[in-house]
Amino acid sequence: MSESIIWYLREFLRTEWIRKFLLAKTDPLVTPPYFKDYPTLTGKECTACYQCMMICPAPGAIAVLRHDDGWRPEIYPGHCIRCGLCVEACPEDVLQSGRVLEAQHRDRTGFRATFHLSIDREICMRCGNCCISCPVGREGEPDGAVLKIEKGGVQILNSDLCTGCKTCEVNCPNRGIRVARVVEGVQEAAA
Amino acid sequence: MKKTVDVSIPIGPMHPCWKEPIRLKCETIGERVLRTEVELGYMKKGIERIMRGRPWQEVMFLAERICGICSVIHNMVFIEAMEGISGIAVPPRAAYLRVVVNELDRMESHILANFSYCYTIEHETLAMYLLNVREIVLDQLERITGSRINTAYMIPGGVRFDITEEDAAALLAGLARVEEDVERYTRMFATSYLIALRSRGVGTMTREKAIEAHAVGPTGRASNVPECDLRLQHPTYQKLGFTPVCRTEGDNFARNMVRFDEVMQSISLIRQCIGQLPEGPIRGGGACTAGEITYQGEAPRGELTYYIKSDEYGRIIDITVRTPSIMNIEACTHHMINDVTSVADVTSTFISSDPCVACTER
Ligand code: SF4
Ligand code: SF4
Repeated sequence: MSESIIWYLREFLRTEWIRKFLLAKTDPLVTPPYFKDYPTLTGKECTACYQCMMICPAPGAIAVLRHDDGWRPEIYPGHCIRCGLCVEACPEDVLQSGRVLEAQHRDRTGFRATFHLSIDREICMRCGNCCISCPVGREGEPDGAVLKIEKGGVQILNSDLCTGCKTCEVNCPNRGIRVARVVEGVQEAAA
Repeated sequence: MKKTVDVSIPIGPMHPCWKEPIRLKCETIGERVLRTEVELGYMKKGIERIMRGRPWQEVMFLAERICGICSVIHNMVFIEAMEGISGIAVPPRAAYLRVVVNELDRMESHILANFSYCYTIEHETLAMYLLNVREIVLDQLERITGSRINTAYMIPGGVRFDITEEDAAALLAGLARVEEDVERYTRMFATSYLIALRSRGVGTMTREKAIEAHAVGPTGRASNVPECDLRLQHPTYQKLGFTPVCRTEGDNFARNMVRFDEVMQSISLIRQCIGQLPEGPIRGGGACTAGEITYQGEAPRGELTYYIKSDEYGRIIDITVRTPSIMNIEACTHHMINDVTSVADVTSTFISSDPCVACTER
């Protein structure tokens, strides 16, 4: 018993404890520079390549939208999980978050991806939502589209134009169209 | 008829000592608790079902969200399983960085577990001290990965960010602070009379019982089952010459001391990794392909198993996760809470086995 009290006295009479007790302050509420916050725009020009949408793991977190002065990605904070993958995937450095962009330039890291479209003919009900939602080749000649309703079904016209943005997958009411995105993390050798 | 049980006391699902909803039904005679029965099923998330049909870059984030405390190991085991399926090699620098982040995560998880034990036995001073020191560990995680909990640091074929000289120096400085503090807190824990009264000899589980119940992680190692540490089979840990921490008492005190000692061990492992960090790339590329694998890793709470089946584009067809806590919860209710002296000891014994309901029910 007495030993215990002596122990506690010793613990609470340490100079550090007394100093902290009298002078303790809450740490200032600052966000450290390395914190991966919601991605913000750097002001560089977006080329609407949809790589950010392709890699985003959270449903509905990012959308590349057209404004009067060009394309711009928009982040929806309620959906974004702040993973920073879109920052790494963007080839034009449009987005940035924490030190992700800096680290990427330093380490020369990036992602390489291939896409494979597949349509399950059994559950596809030919509503055409995928063809309408697909953002690729909207303004080019009519043959520049990836998907088209033809001969009573969805046809894949130009699978090499697919950017993997998975808009069709999201808009399909039946999960009839799937975009496989095979992503590899790569790094260029140091110069 | 002879009456054997006085009252059946439910603890939970909502209880100030529980971090997550779970219910224990205690059968008592007077103050003594004869048996307990566990009732799960209050927070099923169905994560494995959501994972199906998705590629690694989505599943990786879902895997982390199975458990909020030991998220890094879920990421690591999932990614290493995908690498095993696809035959992707990891550059040595990335393998060492993975160990650094994994051990930081283990430190914060163990410190949190000991915090909840101290909180359960009402030693709030030590509990708050421990939460304070956990903050330093989380800062180091944030410095390396950019996030505190769900770090998403590992990807197939490497890791996401390299560590710079300044970061490594700051990490070592932070570790020195943690080491100094944890050493003092370990001494406080080991020498305090109050803690000894509540912990020593309470909830004892022998080695035979631990093996019978398949106790894993610190719970098993506190009962002298060092071979349950799967880090012994991990190639990077083998290179670091890892030997598990182990104690023989098997009571609440031992379980907490094992965790304190593992924090110190993690600090030395991280120092070793930073010291021997090889130069070179951190990502090697490599696409995920079709295959099937069962892969295990050592989570802060014990053995974590992923069974994965994937299609030719690396999408998950089937996945099953077996997390460590379910074994420890069962071991705890069957072999530790046997004729304990009071209901208060039931909560503290249960918390000492570090149950994580979020990952048990996924
Ligand atoms: S940070 Fe991650 S979740 Fe958020 S928009 Fe970018 S890729 Fe999606
Ligand atoms: S990846 Fe970059 S350039 Fe491409 S659409 Fe997204 S923000 Fe624009």
